[in-house]
Amino acid sequence: MPEQKKPKRKPGVCVPWEEKLKELPKISGDEELVRKVWEDIDALGYVYIWQCLLSF
Amino acid sequence: MAKDMEQLYAERLKRYVTAMRNEKPDKIPIRPFVAEFTAKYAGYTCQEVTHDFEKAFAAARKCAADFDWDAVVGNMVYVWTGLTQAIGTKYYAVPGIDISPDTGFQYLEPPEEKAFMKPDEYDQLIEDPTGFLFNVWLPRISADVSAMGEPTSYRNNLSFLKGGMAMLNYFNAFGKQNALLRSESGTVSAISGILKAPFDIIADKLRGYIGLTMDLFERPDKVLAACEALMPHLLHVALSGADPDKNVPIGFWMHRGCVPFISQKHFDKLYWPTLKPIIEEIWAKGHQVLFYAEGNWNAHLNVFAELPEKAIVYHVDMADIFEVHKAIGHKFCISGGIPNFLLSYGTADEVRECCKKVIDGVARDGGYIMDASAIVQDDAKVENIKAMTDFTREYGVY
Repeated sequence: MPEQKKPKRKPGVCVPWEEKLKELPKISGDEELVRKVWEDIDALGYVYIWQCLLSF
Repeated sequence: MAKDMEQLYAERLKRYVTAMRNEKPDKIPIRPFVAEFTAKYAGYTCQEVTHDFEKAFAAARKCAADFDWDAVVGNMVYVWTGLTQAIGTKYYAVPGIDISPDTGFQYLEPPEEKAFMKPDEYDQLIEDPTGFLFNVWLPRISADVSAMGEPTSYRNNLSFLKGGMAMLNYFNAFGKQNALLRSESGTVSAISGILKAPFDIIADKLRGYIGLTMDLFERPDKVLAACEALMPHLLHVALSGADPDKNVPIGFWMHRGCVPFISQKHFDKLYWPTLKPIIEEIWAKGHQVLFYAEGNWNAHLNVFAELPEKAIVYHVDMADIFEVHKAIGHKFCISGGIPNFLLSYGTADEVRECCKKVIDGVARDGGYIMDASAIVQDDAKVENIKAMTDFTREYGVY
């Protein structure tokens, strides 16, 4: 696959975790858990728009 | 699940997968892509199976139970118009609303000047395809979604909420549908996941076919860059929906990227270089791709033959299937080749004769799957579909 010049948003991502993390206060608990859940649900937004384009 | 049904499922899966790997199974697998035909057979209108996916699922299961088919798609009436209405999608003519309840849904491509993407917007698409789809494309294709900078609205907010929940509901329902196909009739779910070529997506849903063909001459570098920007996303979507067991292929729907829709030069410079790496990457991860070659793609068989052996299953629509077999049959499984006009207007004897000719010509060494040329709609005669099925089952034994 040809390399892109720094894609603004990677495949599977709508709002990157790094961007969201900046909005949050210091995470006192399990940051990995917060990241994983954020990314899992964020991916649903990606599915929505790309499936609108491809399937519907 | 009844043990005999599970045994039947296992036999059919083995038969289907063996053929797709271009090998010789016990019998020729039968895998018709039946869409509105299921409504006709099960006693529904096109409106019912398009707008109520549970009826579409029921119709697909009834056909699977009554015909001796190895594999089907859980719902080949793939656009659920309940969902597209929730989103506010403008580009479908919905049976029972925009067209007769007895007519299949139609895609309405806008005129060139009303294309969903303007010619000067390539850079936005190239920089951020996902952002472009949300911020520019979606507000244009939806009657409810507000454009960026415009006031939001009740209907805008509802479009996302209802659209998102409805899509999840629909996709989740396929898990149960596939399980019911397996337990009720021992039928395999034929494909998993979706792929379209970057070029076709720009033609179908962004610039329109006419707009894109003008762009090929006026801004070819932008078209190429846009195709390249779409590639990783289309690969990601394809893999995310692929069969985790790596048995059934990803469906690849081929539209207007072939000669004479575009020139050989544009195919060679734009269409193929931005598709081939996707197919190779998918195959490297162990998944086959079903090339559903709508129309006639025989001008490009030589480049398809460059793909790794067994990487694809090649479905033949209007092309000469014997020519296809000669060019790529040594590397890939072939499906289809029974003309839809014959299934609609021919006699059962003519269908049997055609099936015999195709089987004799391309299926002698395995690597063939019986199917109509194109997706079967409600114009096909039931007795002709039965003739295709029964003849193949009787004659197509190795």
